[in-house]
Amino acid sequence: MNLVIFIFIVLLGFTSYYFGRKKAYSIQATNTRLTALPQFYGYYLAIWCAIPAFIIYSLWAIFEPSIVKLIILSDYSNQGYLDDELNLIYEKTKSLSRGQFSGEITTYLETSAEKYLNLRSIAQNSKVVLILAIIIASIVYGYKRISSNNRTREPVEKFLNAVLFTASLAAILTTIGIVFSLIFQTIDFFKVIPLFDFIFGTHWYPAKAFVRDASEPLDPSMYSDTFGAVPIFAGTFFIALIAMCVAIPIGLMSGIYLAEYASTKVRQYAKPLIEILAGIPTVVYGFFAALTVGPFLKDIGTAMGLEVSAESALAAGGVMGIMIIPFISSLSDDVITSVPQSLRDGSYAMGATKSETIKKVIFPAALPGIVGSILLGVSRAVGETMIVVMASGLAANLTFNPLESTSTITAQIVVILIGDQAFGDPKTQAAFALGMTLFLVTLSLNIFALRVVKKYREKYE
Amino acid sequence: MIKINSKNVDVFYGKKQALFNINLDIEENQVTALIGPSGCGKSTFLRCLNRMNDVIDICRVKGQIIINDFDINDKSCDVVRLREKIGMVFQKPNPFPKTIYENISYGPTIHGMAQSKNEMDEIVENSLKKAALWEEVKDRLHEPGTGLSGGQQQRLCIARAISVKPEVILMDEPCSALDPIATAQIEELIDELKKDHTIIIVTHSMAQAARVSQNTGFFHLGELIEHGSTDKIFKNPENKRTQDYITGRFG
Repeated sequence: MNLVIFIFIVLLGFTSYYFGRKKAYSIQATNTRLTALPQFYGYYLAIWCAIPAFIIYSLWAIFEPSIVKLIILSDYSNQGYLDDELNLIYEKTKSLSRGQFSGEITTYLETSAEKYLNLRSIAQNSKVVLILAIIIASIVYGYKRISSNNRTREPVEKFLNAVLFTASLAAILTTIGIVFSLIFQTIDFFKVIPLFDFIFGTHWYPAKAFVRDASEPLDPSMYSDTFGAVPIFAGTFFIALIAMCVAIPIGLMSGIYLAEYASTKVRQYAKPLIEILAGIPTVVYGFFAALTVGPFLKDIGTAMGLEVSAESALAAGGVMGIMIIPFISSLSDDVITSVPQSLRDGSYAMGATKSETIKKVIFPAALPGIVGSILLGVSRAVGETMIVVMASGLAANLTFNPLESTSTITAQIVVILIGDQAFGDPKTQAAFALGMTLFLVTLSLNIFALRVVKKYREKYE
Repeated sequence: MIKINSKNVDVFYGKKQALFNINLDIEENQVTALIGPSGCGKSTFLRCLNRMNDVIDICRVKGQIIINDFDINDKSCDVVRLREKIGMVFQKPNPFPKTIYENISYGPTIHGMAQSKNEMDEIVENSLKKAALWEEVKDRLHEPGTGLSGGQQQRLCIARAISVKPEVILMDEPCSALDPIATAQIEELIDELKKDHTIIIVTHSMAQAARVSQNTGFFHLGELIEHGSTDKIFKNPENKRTQDYITGRFG
């Protein structure tokens, strides 16, 4: 039913566009000059048709359930029910009205269910009538307003402005929402685990937290030495560092090659080929790291007399670096190509060689974009989960030996949130605390890097 | 005295021929203007003289261009040395996105011309003075060159070009992006510079060619129609097309 109304409004919108334009044409035919192109009159009428109807429709959808609930439950008021019990009664009524109720049916419940069905159909019908009335009224109003001396271009442009604003607002609100969903759980977590222990503790064994029986009261002392985040933060940055050591030089050099040295033909084929790397799912990288690179490194290490773990930070970081190459190479290729040719000409005309020109003129001019691409690579590296889970293991060792296994923040969040979890338990909340810290760290990294870029960038134009 | 001697120069962009059999001698320490309608090949010819056409993939140059008894199109020619000797100023001012000082010191640095900071300071000061820019920028040498006005930027580019003491300076419509006052300053500068340098200037302004040059070459459709002293070209051209162009009947 709702879908039908929706489609109806949309169709009516199209029709009114047609009629609005037609009226504008007919005004034009009498040799009167319009203040806008005829299609603006069409858009104008379509907006008048659809927007009030959609506003009423959404308001109705928001308020109908709570009003119906209020009316149903008014029968039960003054009988000493608790809020929870009232909610239960309402749920029972709803399922009975759908014929899905399997419990004991009382007469009270039956009357309520009947009343509920009644209310719903009244609501449905009045909704249709109201919306139709609104549509007709607003179309008539809008149609009457279409005349040669009435402006339609400005309202249409304003409407578009509002639509675009809403779209950008949605992205911002989502970010804020995510931050808030992290904040409250994080605060709860730090009520149990002292912030100091979390930031400076060197033991991370969330598995220990499973011991608690949910019925027992929370005893913070049992979590001492459980949630020390140092090993996993160290692991995260260590693996990211290995990845960037692979990705930055290779990515940057291949970007420079593509932009400055490669002939058009080579570039035409090489660039898509490199970008294929970006299309490989991280799981595939994960088993490449776990099943090919890891054992390979172990074999080499054994041959050289080194002790190499089959799951090593080197394998995970190295493969992660390969994964990040296309981001850095493709983006830096783009920014280098967009440096104006006149700067190159100026440098060549001074007798500079190609490599001097790149090093002294092009690279500084392209620096903001290049740093941007590296930042993107770093955030990929810090946020990457699958490769670490598969290739570097889940044991949070505090180590800076690339040949041993270590773990990262994201991998630990996976470990914590897989399987059964209880909300309100420090173990689950630890994931939120980790997420929040990660967010803060990457945010400050970004701000810092942007400042550096702003200071050192060489602006052309 | 002849500084540059070009013989049978043909230039191709891919399959399209842009210049046909150009034979032109350039006099030392004089200003030679190249005039002609858009697309006639005068800029292409200019770019042959310091092999800037190498930068364009599809461009091929045939024939001989002899500078100091040496064919610059020969395989043994070192492009880096060539461009040190033959500087260039472009149509649109293109200072590097660096400080004014770094813009000037760029060339001397890559050619290893200064042994010390003092020597470099001297080169920078002299180049800016020769380009008549020193008084305007001496207090802000370490501000970005892109912050200067258009005319100042172009003089900065000229200073950059003369910083490596080139024998020849090529100018590709150096005033086309400038207002009349900046143009007058540059023209005055060109007159000054010809004492030490041989100058070849491509220009669309006939008046400019008449004002600054001693010799003029007229290009049309990829051919050098006529060349000689500016006086003769403007007052008594031999070719009808030259006369039509100069009197404004076409182009």
